[in-house]
Amino acid sequence: MDIKQMPAIDKDTLKSENLVLNMGPHHPATHGVMRLLLELDGETVVKCTPYVGYLHRGVEKLAEDMTYLRALPLTDRLDYISSMTHNQGYCYAVETLLGVEVPVRAKFIRTMVCEMSRIASHLLWIATHALDIGAMTVFLYAFKEREFILEQFEALCGARLTVTYPRIGGVRNDVSQEFIDSVYDFTNYFPSKVDEYERLIDRNRIWFKRTRGIGVITAEEAVNYGLTGAALRGSGVNYDIRKLFPYDAYDSVDFDVPIGTHGDVYDRYRCRMEELRQSNRIIRQCIERLPKGAIMTKDAPKVTLPSKKKVLTSMESMIHHFMVITKGPINCPKGEVYVATEAPKGELGFYFISDGEGKPYRMRVRAPSFVHIAALPKLCEGGLVADVISNIGSIDIVLGECDR
Amino acid sequence: MKKHLISHEPKVVSLPDEKFSFKNLLKDIFLTEIISGLGLTLSSLFKKPVTKQYPHEKKEAKQGFRGLHALARRPDTGLAKCVGCGLCAAICPSKCITIYTYEDVNHDKIVDRYELDILRCVFCSFCVEACPYGAIVMTRHYEYASYSKEALFMTKEKLLKNWDDYMSDEDALVYFKKYWGPREEDFVGHEGQAVFRNNK
Ligand code: SF4
Ligand code: SF4
Repeated sequence: MDIKQMPAIDKDTLKSENLVLNMGPHHPATHGVMRLLLELDGETVVKCTPYVGYLHRGVEKLAEDMTYLRALPLTDRLDYISSMTHNQGYCYAVETLLGVEVPVRAKFIRTMVCEMSRIASHLLWIATHALDIGAMTVFLYAFKEREFILEQFEALCGARLTVTYPRIGGVRNDVSQEFIDSVYDFTNYFPSKVDEYERLIDRNRIWFKRTRGIGVITAEEAVNYGLTGAALRGSGVNYDIRKLFPYDAYDSVDFDVPIGTHGDVYDRYRCRMEELRQSNRIIRQCIERLPKGAIMTKDAPKVTLPSKKKVLTSMESMIHHFMVITKGPINCPKGEVYVATEAPKGELGFYFISDGEGKPYRMRVRAPSFVHIAALPKLCEGGLVADVISNIGSIDIVLGECDR
Repeated sequence: MKKHLISHEPKVVSLPDEKFSFKNLLKDIFLTEIISGLGLTLSSLFKKPVTKQYPHEKKEAKQGFRGLHALARRPDTGLAKCVGCGLCAAICPSKCITIYTYEDVNHDKIVDRYELDILRCVFCSFCVEACPYGAIVMTRHYEYASYSKEALFMTKEKLLKNWDDYMSDEDALVYFKKYWGPREEDFVGHEGQAVFRNNK
């Protein structure tokens, strides 16, 4: 047929359809295995539906079959980037449930290592976030300092990522003078390293274009979505559990809570960068004020493992040792408890129901990542596809924790 | 508690909104910040590299690293210290330890088989802490990747061999202090039971 004889296209009958795009589960920028179902109109995201659960291991259910001590390594694997804070949150919750008081030295040590963990987590975040957006150098620089922290963890407790260091009633082993010295040395030069990262991206015009005014969420919306941590503070809400409900040694150290005003990707980035400096301050103070004393409570023989000397010399301790390991804490109180701590990603809550046995009847983890992913549609819809990446980076999720 | 230290005044960190100005336009055109960032990258070109060429350049794990397991030998008899109490299996979160014991003619408890599935282990070292005799330890050895499952299924013999191969006197002392007897610095061990090796 001759082209001239073809009927003219009637513009009114032409239809355009939205394109459905699967982002993930193996997309490198999803920081794990998460699938986003994006409905696109050209470059604009019309609808965004997150699908989670690819990393589900049934941690909550597993814990129901384990004694409180035995379930501790499970919490390492929630947020494997900062397992210290998750161990601490778990231990703090169990301590609250069982009424165990932690010695002051252990509190300071815990605070110190948790802040180190926060730094490591934020460094990984800035590294990958910048990498996603296209700034590769930051990635390499940040990993240098993160490596130092992981090495210190290795010297402290024998593992780099899954530390299992805090214990119900204290910490596993005491910090050595060597450890303290090298960490103190680190706090001296670390702020200049943060300046270095900022010099690379902070006022960078491309970084501005990719982050400012992107993924805006107002304070009210952020609260309604249940955002916590830096994602909430970036919108200007002054909410930090370390300040409002201090645990461990946070009430005896001085630090500022950084907040943003715009609630965009850039402000969330600024908040976390400032948190790096504040964490550094906390570590310094913890080292300077580190008191002497026990690192494991001595008042709770029915909850904590007795020392080996006692186990081998006293009959009662031997029985406690066997009982605590096989049956869990003896004479557990009945009841329920919800305890929240400030993990690097946001508010990490542990909810326990105890029926008086040595195991939790129910353990529930309020994982910040899970809640943050729920806010992704709000952040992404109406934006461009390229900004989805910045948004995922800016809420700082880890899927191990989200899917549990 | 020092409540007075708590200031609830937050620190605002966001930048003020950018107004259009000639200076900003120049920055937009000449990308001055990027050049300053590139300067930093350039300067680090002359610094010593921090990366390690792994297979050629090995990094030794720190003392007290939670690596491959080993069963301790008694210094006097050279047999395994393990008495088969089963505490390590009871506390193991991944349930990867299995112990088979039997009663011999003298009514002694004999550990027949001690099996540890390394592929399921999460390296929490709870078994080390739980053991009342210091019979199971972890070593600094971490390069044991293998193509077969059997190589990573530890039997009693393999675990005892690990003790001979990878545990040094110096390491043993660190492990002993750090994990096994974590809270009693002055505790030097109990006759025949608790010492890892003949630590002077
Ligand atoms: S290290 Fe942990 S997981 Fe591995 S065998 Fe020991 S208790 Fe089990
Ligand atoms: S290794 Fe220790 S805890 Fe395990 S069965 Fe032997 S003696 Fe008991």
